[in-house]
Formats: sequence, structure tokens, C-alpha cells
Amino acid sequence: MTPPALQLSAITKRFGAVAANDGVDFELRRGEIHALLGENGAGKSTLMNIVYGMLTPDAGEIRVGGEPVTIGSPRQAMKLGIGMVFQHFMLVDVMTVAENVVLGAEPTKGALLDSRAAVARVRELAGRHGLSVDPDAVVEDITVGQQQRVEILRALDRGADILVLDEPTAVLTAQETAELMTVLRGLRDKGTSIVFISHKLSEVRAIADRVTVLRRGRTVGTVEVAGPNPPDEAELARLMVGRDVLLRVEKAACRPAAPLLDVRDLEADDDRGLRAVDGVSFDVRGGEIVAIAGVDGNGQRELVEAVCDLRAPVAGKVTVGGKDVTGRGARHARDCGLGHIAEDRQRSGLVLDFTLSENLALRDVDRRTRFGLLSPRRMLARATDLLAEFDVRGGGPQAAARSLSGGNQQKVVIAREIAAGPRVLVAAQPTRGLDVGAIEFVHRRLVAERDAGRAILLLSLELDEVRNLADRILVIFEGRIVGELPPTATEEQLGLLMLGGGGATSARASAA
Amino acid sequence: MTAPTPSDHRGPAATRLLRHLSVGGAVAPLITTIVAFFVGGLVVLATGKDPLTTYKAIFDGTGLNWLLPWSGDRALAATNLQQTLINTGPLILCGLAVAYAFRAGLFNIGAQGQYTMGTIAAVYAGSSWAGLPGWLHVVLAMAVAALAGAAWAGIAGALRASTGANEVITTIMLNYTALWIGVYLFGLGGPLQANDQPDVPVSNDIVGGAKLPVFWGDKDLQGLHVGIFVAVLAAGIFWVVLNRSRLGYEARAVGFSPPAARSAGIGVGRTYVVTMAICGLFAGLAGSLDILGWQFHLATNDISASQVGFLGIAVALLGRNTAIGTCFAALLFGALSQGTSVRNLDPAVFQPELAQNLTTVIQGLVVLLVSADVLLASVWRRRRARAGGGGAAAAPPTPTTLGSVSP
Amino acid sequence: MSARAASAACAAPAATAGWAGILAGVLALFVALPPLTVRSDALVVVLGALALAAGAAALRGGERKLGGAAILAGLLGAGLGYGAAHTATGGLEAAVSWGALGGATLRFACPLIFAALGGLVSERSGVVNIALEGMMLMGAFFAAYGADKTGSWVLGILIGMLAGAALAAVHAVFAISVRSDQIVSGTALNFVALGLTGYMYVDVYGADGTPNDLPQVPEVHLPTSSLGFAGNSIDDQNLLVWVSLVMVVAVWVFVFRTRAGLRMRSVGENPRAAETVGISVQRTRYLAVIASGALAALGGAFLSIGSVHSFTQNMTAGKGFIALAALIFGRWRPFGLLAATLLFGFSSALAQRLPQLTPGAENVATLLQALPYVLTLVAVAGVIGRSIPPKADGVPYKREG
Ligand SMILES: Nc1ncnc2c1ncn2[C@@H]1O[C@H](COP(=O)(O)OP(=O)(O)O)[C@@H](O)[C@H]1O
Ligand SMILES: [Mg+2]
Repeated sequence: MTPPALQLSAITKRFGAVAANDGVDFELRRGEIHALLGENGAGKSTLMNIVYGMLTPDAGEIRVGGEPVTIGSPRQAMKLGIGMVFQHFMLVDVMTVAENVVLGAEPTKGALLDSRAAVARVRELAGRHGLSVDPDAVVEDITVGQQQRVEILRALDRGADILVLDEPTAVLTAQETAELMTVLRGLRDKGTSIVFISHKLSEVRAIADRVTVLRRGRTVGTVEVAGPNPPDEAELARLMVGRDVLLRVEKAACRPAAPLLDVRDLEADDDRGLRAVDGVSFDVRGGEIVAIAGVDGNGQRELVEAVCDLRAPVAGKVTVGGKDVTGRGARHARDCGLGHIAEDRQRSGLVLDFTLSENLALRDVDRRTRFGLLSPRRMLARATDLLAEFDVRGGGPQAAARSLSGGNQQKVVIAREIAAGPRVLVAAQPTRGLDVGAIEFVHRRLVAERDAGRAILLLSLELDEVRNLADRILVIFEGRIVGELPPTATEEQLGLLMLGGGGATSARASAA
Repeated sequence: MTAPTPSDHRGPAATRLLRHLSVGGAVAPLITTIVAFFVGGLVVLATGKDPLTTYKAIFDGTGLNWLLPWSGDRALAATNLQQTLINTGPLILCGLAVAYAFRAGLFNIGAQGQYTMGTIAAVYAGSSWAGLPGWLHVVLAMAVAALAGAAWAGIAGALRASTGANEVITTIMLNYTALWIGVYLFGLGGPLQANDQPDVPVSNDIVGGAKLPVFWGDKDLQGLHVGIFVAVLAAGIFWVVLNRSRLGYEARAVGFSPPAARSAGIGVGRTYVVTMAICGLFAGLAGSLDILGWQFHLATNDISASQVGFLGIAVALLGRNTAIGTCFAALLFGALSQGTSVRNLDPAVFQPELAQNLTTVIQGLVVLLVSADVLLASVWRRRRARAGGGGAAAAPPTPTTLGSVSP
Repeated sequence: MSARAASAACAAPAATAGWAGILAGVLALFVALPPLTVRSDALVVVLGALALAAGAAALRGGERKLGGAAILAGLLGAGLGYGAAHTATGGLEAAVSWGALGGATLRFACPLIFAALGGLVSERSGVVNIALEGMMLMGAFFAAYGADKTGSWVLGILIGMLAGAALAAVHAVFAISVRSDQIVSGTALNFVALGLTGYMYVDVYGADGTPNDLPQVPEVHLPTSSLGFAGNSIDDQNLLVWVSLVMVVAVWVFVFRTRAGLRMRSVGENPRAAETVGISVQRTRYLAVIASGALAALGGAFLSIGSVHSFTQNMTAGKGFIALAALIFGRWRPFGLLAATLLFGFSSALAQRLPQLTPGAENVATLLQALPYVLTLVAVAGVIGRSIPPKADGVPYKREG
């Protein structure tokens, strides 16, 4: 029997006090697609970065083809036939596809680069594996899906027979995902062993031969998917999150009042100047939670930014409590009663180097002044109250926000936004990366604010969360609202809409 | 205003520096200074002189020995100390000009140019409007100088806000532009060249009423003028604005995290402009102190030889961008240049021309080592985080540190 | 060309405005020069203002490049024209003896070329180098010192380059290994170099200055003086001027046509990506920064033993920053920076020659000295298309765990 292509035993890696990997075992057979499944932060990327020599493990053994090895650098990994496609692509944007593929193993003619040979090599490789890209195109001009191909090509160019893909579908459209699956199956059938990292159950079931589940840095188990009795999604989910289902939030029936947030024909561009929000209209009434569901990258981020006036809309109108806030700047929107729980709390939600008391004053510092000067005493007093009310732990009002755990940081953001007494609260991925306890806190709080009569717009990539919290679900696809569903809708119904299929027209009528 | 700030995603360089500089207290700057003097001493030793007697002679020249009542010639020490403090005032202000920008995540290399614009404006205002009452004339001239500096710095702020142009580059360019403007204005045949000395590239003298009053020492022999109080007062204002005003609060928020500030409704672009303008106020004021305090006129040579604004960078860094630290760092550098001046240092002990260059080396080393104690500081911080243990202290990586290299 | 211009003009009023602005800017200078030699400020200023207005109109109409070019032409034309209009006619003809002007342009450009190329190598690898000034100064002093002590200009140059490389190595240690802020470390090293060269100069040469018999880099005499002004410009140039021009080509080939150059650029754009394909970010940056110091020092060596045959304290006097400006203005490209240094060199040559020939109005020409800085301001502000540095320029790199 041939030894496994890759075998990891008892791999441990710590970052400070966090054990990102804690005695992980993993085995990749030759010629299989092996999914590595786990929630955000479970340690998947860390494990594979160790395999690729980007990180050095604190303990554990790696065998490649049965031989124990130490992998100190990507160069060594490549020598061992390991290739990796990173979650954030490792490409040089201003260079051509061919240059990116051959980088590190460039063909030369005499002292000079042989770019013609490079192009030929890339073309041949792309043809062989059915990965069409233009070798002469500049990377920043091609689509994300094509960029991913460049990464795959580069790994193959180095002769990789073990290919690791870190969340390869997170950035792809449905069409591109399907194409990627085909390519990967083709590679497997030619003998490449593939590690496919994901936290999406359906994908894993569709492509993997086996699945290894990681939870909080430990291996939970490995199951056959391609075998005779494959596990269903519920079973995988249980392995992944370690409990049956997400706790349902207790909530009373929704009693919607007058619309507080009204978005009309909103259009906005993304950072590259491409239309990301394409004529979106909806409203949110006081006392209801409206969720926007969709696959990541369908314009959610731009929609939130446009609504909160952090991104100038191209067209359309946003009103908060009847006041037009379009394009008047974030401060104006906030003064009109808009609260915003930012998607990336560490980047946009908090000033990490400020104290909690300073962070809590971010929205309304002008109301904390005396004789035109800030009053630290007042700021502290108020912070002390808010930290108690929102049960923030890990530091007093003088502690730097940086020193708090993610869940507590999020509580600070929520405390600040709610304390300002907004009429409309926009919550973008409010539970991303939080532990169960913190998730529950956030959910309860959002429902409580709904019951207090605020209009809540929720953006989430987690379908469970959407169905749990929302009173109405709007599905966004390629920058448009393609349908509205009740929270009782099944995952299949939602999924179909999210991928752009069916039912759009009738649903849209009711959304308007 | 939606300002494009292209470097936000990786955190502006100044922001990263800022984060590091805010730990470590006064110990690190002290060590930095000692090491710099030690290395400077090695240079002296390498050229066959005795570092200890050299440093002693320089110290005596600074006048700081006046503070030691038992020391020798009190009158001489007093004169020297007056000169040291005359140097210190503008250095404090230039240090504040750099420090304030730092706190908002901007790197103001342009204090020199802002200072130059201040001197030009001060000499213009001081030599015109002869009929004004003295105190009004002084105040007006200082105000005009501060505004000139603010306008000059504001250019860099506005460019950053509107086009994202890197303020390091723009302020460097503005420095040299200011220099040549000055050389043009006071050069032979220039529009502001002295009326009564057609062959000398110098400005008119300022009128008597525009001179800053001298309160210690001989009025006619360059006694200490009140500029030092202006500078210390400015440091106080710096502290209040930064820590107690909404303006400063917003500047600090922008300095630490432009995206978070933006999302909290703070106008990041506006903050850049206002911040730079405030920096320019400080540096322009520094220019007026020199002109109204002791130079009284401006020669093209003065403009090209001046280093005060550049030293402001060293002052701010060594003073860790705090008001009090800036004052002490300025005193150190002010004393150094006084102690090594030709007038003071006995050539038999150590050649003053050598000593001046030694000072420059030490200043460079101080800045270099400050940039390195950024490392010490971060090691220290990490050590503390680990010692603190527990999930809370070992914070997860922030987007700014992780994102600094990924696209 | 003109056909394209014409069709563009028909197509859009903004483009017409842009072209008109460029024309007005050119005219502003042209009227003031021989043979027209108009002696009125008004005409020059009006033409320049027209150019600016037209440029602004073009910009507002969306013609960024044309509008920027028109503004540039307006500024240049008005500035140069104003200077020329204030110059005695006879003097002007002499000053604008193109051969001498061309020669002086090359002489002024040469040290800038070396230093800017040094900056290019460093920044393309991702390390900001504002210590170019200090590295030039090291080159200038140690080339003179080396040439004096060894009696050979070749060894002098080598010693100068070594000194520049040594200062650069310090920058590398701080910027790359210690991960200091690169701007701070560069600023510091400018001070250190200024003090150190000054100290050694005073210590070694004292009041007498460098000896008169300092070995010098030879001039290359070419029999081209009969070939009009171009021939006149190059017939008597220093060897290092030729080396600098060759170096532009060499650096271009290296950066864009060799394996090491490709890797260096990848490190400057996305170091983590480079690392994932097995390129050592640290090693690449160290080599680039050290090479950058040697190149800048070569520019300094030209100043001391190529051009004026002596060393004086702080003799670079901001040339390192002009080189930095040229690098940015030339958009981090070898031929771009060559064009920029030639332009800056030309303005210096004019500034130097105009006053000599026009007593009484010398100082108008000084304003030309500010031109490089003003143009660079305009360039980074994005009026003439943006100057975009390498993506990882100035960002310290840290390997994970
Ligand atoms: N460079 C790092 N420094 C500190 N902590 C890290 C680093 N990389 C990852 N972590 C932490 O390790 C844990 C696992 O992260 P990761 O492997 O990226 O998870 P996954 O890829 O499964 O989402 C997380 O808690 C994360 O915060
Ligand atoms: Mg991951």
C-alpha cells in the first residue's frame, strides 16, 4: 500500500496564548480531494500555512510520501511537490499572468528573462489543465476567478502533486465555483492530491472524497463523503460547531410600525469603479428586522456603505426617519438617527489604540464637552455605565480596546451605537468570528432593540442567523434584490435565490 | 468629504510609528540619548581626542551649569544659558509642528519649509507697518508668520485630503520650494531685498517696535527674549488641543485608524487639512521667534543654513510626540548647538567646527536610535502581553498589522 | 501626430482646450526668446495664464492628461518666459547658446541620474530611501578623500561607493531587519552623513580644504563640436556623465529584463507573494538598498572629483532630494527619471547661466531652482496622471511565526 501523500501528526501552533492548532492530525491520500472543514478561526489556514512552510509548528510531525520532513520555507515546500492557493491571492498585481506564474522559476536566455518562453510555458500548462487565461494580461485587469487560476497554474508549474486551496470559493461567483470544481476533479483524476479548505457544507459534500473537521484547533474527526453512506449536512454541521443547532432566539411576533429606513433605487460602485449596487429599493419599519442575505461579494458591503453614507452613491436616495441623508456624509446620517455596527469591528468599528471610554465617545464626542473642552471625567462615568449595562469584560473604561477579546470588542461597538439612540440600526455581520456566548448576546440585543421600536437592517452571510433573527429576508444577487422571503423559508429556497435562480419577479413586487 | 486615502488599508507609516512610540515612557529616550552620546564619543576618540573633556567643555558652553550654583563663572554661565534658551524656543515649536502631525498619522517633514515661510512673513511684517504700537506690532507679526506657516503646511494637507498625495513627499518638496522663494525674495534685486544695502542679499531690518522684549540679560547683547514663554505656552496649548478638544480627539482617532474615524462620521480629509495647518502654525511661529527675537533680518544664507525645522523631527521623535517630552528634547538640542558654537568652545580643547559636526552626528544617531527603539518598544509590549497571559491580553492580530503586507 | 491632435480637437471641446493650453504655454516662452525677444511681462503672463485656464478647463472636461500637460506648459512657459523677458537681449542670445546650455544640462543632471537610479533600485524593492542625500554626501567626501590618499581617481570612486554602500547598509539594517520606520531612519542617516563627512573633512583638511592636486575623473573629448548644438553639448563631457547615461540603460535592463529584476519588483510590490514562491525578501532588499547607496555615492563622487575637483561641507545641498523628486516625477522608471533629471538639469543650467549674463535681474532665475520641487508637487498631486509608487514601498516586511 502506498503511503499517504501527506501526513500530519500532533501539529501544534500557538500565537501568544491562542492555540491555533492543538495536536492536529491529518492525512491526505494520493489522488483524493480532501476537505478541511471548520468554522472561522478553527485553525485551517494555520495548519496549511505550516504545511507550506509559511509558519513553523511548535510541535508535531509532517510526513510527505511517508518520509518525515521539516518544511522551513515555501521553497522547501515546493521542492516537496506542495503547492498552495492562498485565501488572499499571492499575486503581483502590476505584472502579467505569465510573469506571475513563472515568478521564482523564470526561464532565462543568457542573462536575460525569456518572456516568450514564459508565455509559451503558461499557455501549454493552461491548455493541459483546461484553465484558460491570457498569459499576457496584467493581473489587476482580470477577474478574481482568473486570478485564482493564475495561482493554481503557478502551483502546477512548480510540479505540485499536493495542492492546497484555502477557501477558494469564498470570492467566486456560482459559475466560477462550478468551473473550479471541474478543474479540481480533472486534476484529481490525473493523480494530484488536493486539500480543499472550506466552511461551506454543501460545497464540501459536492466535491470532497473525505472530510476532516477542525474545531478550535483540534481534529474532530475524518469522514468519508464519497463512500456508500455519506453524512448529511446536519451531521457535518454538528461536527463543525460541536452542538446540534444554533440556539433559537426567543422572540415575540413582530409588530412593525412606520418605515424608518427607506432606500430608493440606490446605485453604488465598488472600489474598482464597477457597479456593485444596482438599483436597490426597500424599506425597514420600526420594530422589524430585515435581513439581507446573499453570497459574499454580491454588493452587500457597498450597499451598507452607501446606506451609511460612507460611500457616495451613484444614484438613488436614502432616508432615515423621513430625512434625506443621501451623500451628506456619515456624520449627518448619524445625526439623523442612523446607527452602524461595522462589518470589520477592528478596522472600522473601533479605534483599537483608544481607550474604551474614548471609543464609546466616538459618535457623540461633541456632547461630552464642557466649555468646549472634552471632559474626561464625564466620558469615564458614562463609559463605566455602558460597560456595565452591556456586560463588557476584560478591562475598565481606561483599557485600550485592543486588549479586549473579539466578543467584548463587539459589545463595545454595540453599546456605543445603541446608546446613541438610533432609529435605524444597520448591523453588518455582527457576529462574525464571535464565540457562541457572544453570538447569543448580540442576537438577544438585536431582538431587544427591535422590540424597542428601532428599525434594524441585518446583513449576514450565515443563513442560520438570517432565518433566526429576520422578520423579512431580502436576497441580494449581483447588486440587486432578487426576492423577498419570510423567515420560515427553507435553506433550499434561499439558496436558489442567492444563486440568482427563480422566483425573483413575484418576490420583488412584494418587496417594493 | 469622501477623501481617497489609498494607504489606509495598510495603515499609514506614521500610524504604525505612532502606535509604537506611545509605549515605554521616558526611559527609552534617555537610553537613546546616552547611547547616541556614547557613539559620538567613540567618533571623538577615533580622531585622537578625549571625549570626556570634550563633553565637559561642551556642557560648560551650554550654560546649563548655571543651574549648579557652586559652579564657576556665573555671569558667563548666565549668558550661555540665555543663548541655549533662545535656541530652545523655536525648537520646541518645530518639534510640536512635527509631533502634532504624528498624532494624526501624518509625517510632517515640512517644518523647515513652514518655518522658512514664517521667517519670511515675520521679517516682512516686522519691517513694514512702522507706525504701529509695539506690542500690537509684535503680536501681528507673530500672527502673520504663524498663518504663513499654516498656509504652507495646509497645501500638503489639502493635497493629501483631495488626491491622497503622500505628505512625506509633498512636505519635502515644499521645504525646498520655500527655500528658493526666500532666496528669490531677498536675493540681489529681489522684491524684498534691503533698500539700503543693494549689494547684500538680505532683508530690511525689522523696526524696533516689532522686537520681542528681552527679560533676562543684556538687551543689546542678545539677552533672552520672551519667545521661550511663547514656546512653552504653545506646548501647553498643544496638550490641551490634543487631549481636551474635539479637534485633537478627532485628529488622534484619524491617526490611529482612518477607517474607524471615517465610519464614526469624522471627516478624515478635513482632519488632514486642519491638522497640517495647525502644524504650520507652530512652525511659522517658530520662524517669527527667531526673526523678532534676535535675528531682526533675514539673509539668503540664513535661509539655506537653517536646520531648525529638520531638527524638529528629531525633537518630536525623542520627545515621543508629547508636549513635555518635546520641551525637554528641544532643550537638549538647543543646548548642544549652543555648547558647540564657535563663540563658546575653546579651540584648545576641541575645535568648534568639529564639535558642530559632532552635534549633527549625535542628532542623527538620536533619531536613528529612536527609530530602533520602536523595536525595543514592540518587544517590550509583546513581552508584557505574554506575561499578562490569558485570552484578553494576547489580543488577536489587528488588521493593520496583518494587512500590512497582503494586498 | 497632428492628425490625431486635430481629430481629438474635433471630438471634444475639452481636448481642444487642452491643446490650446499647451500651445499657449509654449508660446509664452517662445515670444521671449530670440529671435522674437518680446520684452514685455504682460504678454508672457497673459499667455501663461491662458494656458493655465485652458488646462483647468480641459481637466474639468475630463481630459486629465492633456489638461495636466497644458498646466505644466503654462507654468513652465510663463516661468521661463518671465525669466527670459527680464534678461538683457544680448545676454540672452549668449545664454541661450544651446550648445553650452546642453552641456551644462548634462552636467547638472549627471549626479541626479546616479542618485535617482539608486532610489529606483531601493524603492522598487520596497524600501523608501530618503537618505539619498546622505549617501551622495558620503560618496562625495570619500571619493575625494580616497582619491587624495591613494592618488587614483578610480580608487577614489571605489572608496566613495563603498562609503555610500556602508551608509546604505546601516539603512538596510534599520529598515529591513529592525523594521524601523524607513523615513525616520533615512532622515537620521542624512544627519549622520552630514555630520560625519563634515567632521572628517574638518579633521583631515581643516581650514585649507581639499588639496588642489586632487586626482580627477577625466573628461572625454569627442570631435563633435562641428555637429551643431547637440555636438557642442557632448564634446567635452566628464567620463562619469557618460557612465550615468549608460547606467540608465543598464538599470532598465536589469529591472525589467532580468530574473533578478523581476524578483526585485515582485518584492517591492507584494513581498508575501514573493516569499510564497521562494524568493527571500530580506536578501533582495538588502542587496537593493546597498546597491542604491553605491549608486547614489557615485553621483556624489561626480560632484567632488568629477565636477568641481574639491570637497566642501554639505556640498550636495539638497541634490539628493531633487533626485528623489526626479524619481517620483519619472514614476519610478529609468527613462522617466532620465527625462526628469534632464528637465531639472536644464532648469538649473538656465538658472546658472541667465544671471551671469544679465546683471541686475539675477535673482529671477533663482526661481527656476524651485522648479523641480514644484513640478514634483504637481506630479504627486496627480494633475498629470498619478505617480504611483511600488505597492509595498516603505512597508516593513515581517515573516510570520
Ligand atoms: N499570525 C497570527 N498571529 C496571531 N494569531 C493568529 C495568527 N494567525 C491566526 N491566528 C489566530 O489563530 C486562530 C486560527 O486562525 P486561522 O488558522 O486563520 O483559522 P481559519 O483559517 O480556520 O479561519 C484564530 O484565532 C486566529 O485569530
Ligand atoms: Mg482561513
